[in-house]
Amino acid sequence: MKKVILVADDSPTIRKFVSVALSLKGYEIVVCADGMEAIEILPIKKVDLVITDLNMPNVDGYELISSIRKNNEYSDIPIIVLSSLGNTEDIQRGLECGANSYLVKPFDPKRVIYEVSKYLN
Amino acid sequence: MDNSNSFENIFKKLGDLKDFFVYGQKLIPILHKILDFMHDTVPLLENVNRSIQDSTSKIPKAAMQINSITNANEIATTEILDIVDGMSMDIANMQTKLESLKNKLGEDEELNAVISTIEKINAGMLNITISLQVQDITSQQLSSVNHLIQSIQEKLAALLIEFKDKEISELPAAEYHFPKDSTFNADARYDKSNSSQKLADSLVEETLNKATQSEIDKLFKKL
Repeated sequence: MKKVILVADDSPTIRKFVSVALSLKGYEIVVCADGMEAIEILPIKKVDLVITDLNMPNVDGYELISSIRKNNEYSDIPIIVLSSLGNTEDIQRGLECGANSYLVKPFDPKRVIYEVSKYLN
Repeated sequence: MDNSNSFENIFKKLGDLKDFFVYGQKLIPILHKILDFMHDTVPLLENVNRSIQDSTSKIPKAAMQINSITNANEIATTEILDIVDGMSMDIANMQTKLESLKNKLGEDEELNAVISTIEKINAGMLNITISLQVQDITSQQLSSVNHLIQSIQEKLAALLIEFKDKEISELPAAEYHFPKDSTFNADARYDKSNSSQKLADSLVEETLNKATQSEIDKLFKKL
């Protein structure tokens, strides 16, 4: 059974980058364009890990992380932030919301694979 | 006595009138200057108005052009990524086959050379995917420029409304609707130095260590 990774990012190219990097490693990738879509997917699809951007329309990454952490059904899902926001305040805010890892764009696909395997293998 | 008072009053009034005329005479050149200034300024203001109107109607075109650049870059990047994806899968298959061939044939110098070349190609493909992320950074910066353009358009439109009772929607070519829900990081940088990642890693480590300590404390309280 393939592990399912939910990728939330408003950039189609970043969704593609992550999908290309992770599907080669045998993960099933589900993509969505914002936090709102991610929140809608979570109850209907069993997700093993979430990779999220922070700057997104409708519901941003911070809200998405907080909402996952508040929901008892998926509060344990590992969350990796993938963002171009690389200053201390943004990183700390992401971690305080409940992210497990924080990757800054441009990212090395090997690093994404490493972070994912840290939680899923 | 009354008559002399009345005359005094009349002379006083006449004196005031004379002063007024003298003052008026002094004022005439100033009024002339004001009229000349207004004569010069009105066409200038008309010109400013026309320029604002012209700039305001050109802004949507500039925004549209920026948007189409972003879209074209996005399509091209996705196409390149599709190709890279296909090639990566082919390379992975080739590596598997070459490994099984190596197991059958044993150590072979030429085969090892081919395997090593394929590994180099694979590393190159990985670098291509990292470099292609410049598209995401560029699109965020272009979104930020578009946002700035939108603000300028709004300011110019407000000025235009003050000049004439004209709404921005009445202007020709002002039909571009700026996306309301676009998000961007104006400070997004294509920085491969890894300094931001190092900062993130240190903060993650610090935060996780703190969490571990709090968990230990909780555990000790329970015991």
